[in-house]
Amino acid sequence: MDSAALLQFAIAGLKNGAIYALVALGFTLVFGSTGIINFAQGEFFMLGGMLAVFFVRLGLPLPIAVIAGVLATAGIGLAFERLALRPRRDSGPLVLIIITIGGSMVMKSLSRHVFGGSELSLPAFSEGPSIVVAGAAIERQAFWVWGLTIIAVVGLTWLYSKTKFGRSMRACSLSHEASRLMGIDTARIVMVSFGLAAVLGGIAGVVVAPLTQTSFDVGARIGVKGFAAAILGGLGNPIAAVVGGLTLGLVESMSIAFISSTYKDVIALVLLLLVLFVRPEGILGRATREKV
Amino acid sequence: MRLLAVCDLSKRFGGLAAVDGVSFDVHEGTIKAVIGPNGAGKSTLFNLITGFDRPDVGSVDLLGCNIVGMNPHKVVRAGISRTFQNTQLFEELTALDNVLVGMHTQLRTGFLGGALRLPWTLTEERRARERASYLLRLVGVEQYVMTPAADIPHGMRRLLEIARALAAAPRLLLLDEPAAGLNNRETQSLARTLYRIRDEGVTIVVVEHDMGLVMEVSEEIVVLDRGRKIAEGPPLLIQKDAAVIEAYLGEEGEYV
Amino acid sequence: MRWTRRRLGITLLGVMGIAIAAVPFLTDDRYLLKVLTFVGVNAIVVAGLALLFGYAGQISLGHAAFFGLGAYMSAYLTTTHQTPWLLAVLAGTGIAAAGGLLLALPSLRLKGHYLAMATLGFNEIMSVLFVELRGITGGNNGLSGIPFPSIGSFVIDTPAGIYLLVWGVAALAFLGAANLVRTRPGRAMRALHGSELGAVASGVDTTRLKVQVFALSAALAGLAGALYAHAVGFISPTQFSLEFSILLVAMVVVGGTGSLVGPFFAAVVLTLLQYVHALIPGLGNDVASVIQDWEVDISGMVMILTVIFLPGGFAALVRRKRIGVAVDGETV
Repeated sequence: MDSAALLQFAIAGLKNGAIYALVALGFTLVFGSTGIINFAQGEFFMLGGMLAVFFVRLGLPLPIAVIAGVLATAGIGLAFERLALRPRRDSGPLVLIIITIGGSMVMKSLSRHVFGGSELSLPAFSEGPSIVVAGAAIERQAFWVWGLTIIAVVGLTWLYSKTKFGRSMRACSLSHEASRLMGIDTARIVMVSFGLAAVLGGIAGVVVAPLTQTSFDVGARIGVKGFAAAILGGLGNPIAAVVGGLTLGLVESMSIAFISSTYKDVIALVLLLLVLFVRPEGILGRATREKV
Repeated sequence: MRLLAVCDLSKRFGGLAAVDGVSFDVHEGTIKAVIGPNGAGKSTLFNLITGFDRPDVGSVDLLGCNIVGMNPHKVVRAGISRTFQNTQLFEELTALDNVLVGMHTQLRTGFLGGALRLPWTLTEERRARERASYLLRLVGVEQYVMTPAADIPHGMRRLLEIARALAAAPRLLLLDEPAAGLNNRETQSLARTLYRIRDEGVTIVVVEHDMGLVMEVSEEIVVLDRGRKIAEGPPLLIQKDAAVIEAYLGEEGEYV
Repeated sequence: MRWTRRRLGITLLGVMGIAIAAVPFLTDDRYLLKVLTFVGVNAIVVAGLALLFGYAGQISLGHAAFFGLGAYMSAYLTTTHQTPWLLAVLAGTGIAAAGGLLLALPSLRLKGHYLAMATLGFNEIMSVLFVELRGITGGNNGLSGIPFPSIGSFVIDTPAGIYLLVWGVAALAFLGAANLVRTRPGRAMRALHGSELGAVASGVDTTRLKVQVFALSAALAGLAGALYAHAVGFISPTQFSLEFSILLVAMVVVGGTGSLVGPFFAAVVLTLLQYVHALIPGLGNDVASVIQDWEVDISGMVMILTVIFLPGGFAALVRRKRIGVAVDGETV
């Protein structure tokens, strides 16, 4: 394989990896403030893309439709947290797993009713031919993917480390009880983190829709992969999510390059299981001791 | 006869020595108390003996066999049962079922036998129920046989947990603050229960804050302070021990 | 008092059993019998899942994959190797049990969330393999021409016969499970769910127990899958999707944790939802198709609403004492 072809695969890997990173950031965000793994995170991705297509079909200009798609996804995320999760906020993990799984089931299935069962596509954000770098062609949309990922990471890192809200969020992740005593409105934090997670998922879904088609049932698989990315990096900080996402993307595309495309999805999942079994705290995560 | 020998046991959490070079023996058929101010390392000591935590150094010998590093469920098979400072009952199960779970190591029914209700499964079940009822009577919670643990009053829950621990037919019973939250009358009856259990041939080590109970039931006392053993001996000597008095005066005078 | 309640329960179960057994003698509607056979198949999976999730408190989002493993194994052996039916079904059960064991050994060290994700990942892997291992699975086209159940020269080739076979197995599965929860291993499962610390302190080898229950429930799923394959004669990858796994969990959640009867009825109702028109002949085609179309939404909503408003599932409604602590009761 010549170097241009290899570069082409690497670029594809980094492009997919950025998408995984965005979804992983959503997992990280919700897990950070609630300790919940949101099984509906993949559906936010699906909703972003589907809603943007929906708005384009309503006749809205592309930029407005894209923004509206992301905002509508955020609204759904907020509503889901408020209506379904908050009533049982203090329950054990099994209850919350069941609620987010039920939520993803309903979101997916409702989408089929609203948007139909066929594959849909969105126009590219910027017109024009691919840009050729060292013999490898890069679609213009890919730059949108990377750009938005970078903005999301920088924004989240800033939010986490520099703002009062971010500090409250981190306090929440340590102990809800203590945060409440410190006067932090934990309910608001949780709701906002769901909203932000939905925004991240929505952005990922919107920005990737022009590259690959989207349909009502893409949520589950991207959800597992985003989670694989999150767990690969170590559920905890935004940087880890990005490292995990890019790693996963590269591993996938290299496996296509050197093995075959048939088992591309399997490789990501096997990687997920291996990390879960061998090092659940992730590559960058710190080992935590379990207390009896 | 020496039943348990704890030798030079140490455990650090981070930089803090929770248990620091503790050694003592427990003789068969006796009741021994472990006392000490809060944070002295008493519960950690229990966790180290029962396999819930692994010591950094030291050994725990039960009848001459080192049990350090054994999984907690194997420690139960080896002959040591315990209760917890925060009772760990099975809330949805009845008192009877709680004790029957305690008999896990004493029964043999496996998945196949259980699913098929083989004749000897039924025989074993009947015997187990008889034994469980006996244990509930022994600790005095027989009136709650069919009550879910969650609905049993606090004091009785501690007794039920003792019955469950006894169900494994231990040689050594470790009780972590059995009198916590009990009123005077209940504590008195607990003392009588402990004697009954000892008379059945079960050796007891008890971590307890209630000095009245400790002085009444125990033949020997080990005093821990900040992870170290500062005294060991019969109650009358411990009460006069200068180091012990100082350790307690440092915290709360009421204990002595 | 307890005795009369117990007698009442046993009587009701007896009546139910007779009613189920009588169905093929009361109707010869082939489609209805087929639908009710599917109900029985799902009930077998749910018997195992109720033990795993409802009693032992361990979640699995991968049971459709075990179901698929059993179905493909038995179908493959009978169609391409002419393996006798009984052996093939046993092999299907066995491979699902082995798969369960393999997944359970590393996974069950994981807690709630991670276990759910690991089993979900497993289901997705198997979904891909069911498509890609074309030589065995027939790819997207699936396997067809799967023979009817037979032992020697005795072939069960009527809908009524297959119905009775499946329901016979389902009855045995539930009887076995009901026996199990009332003896040593079952009590240990309930203990595990109540307080893992307490279970360990009672001498229960919790890891081993979790692995055993997981393998058992995987085996039941595999058995159900194998029976299903021979009942319909055709299988394809879409039937063993993650969605089916979630639906199975929904049956246990809605029916109630710590109960077998609850999940059984939930399995009946949620399965029939997919085939309403077969059940209620008077129902207009429009209504039936709307319900079928919205079946996943309905199941999902019922599941969420159950967890929010009826934590112990419907079984808790029937229980007179204490509404169950339900799925909350697990230890973290």
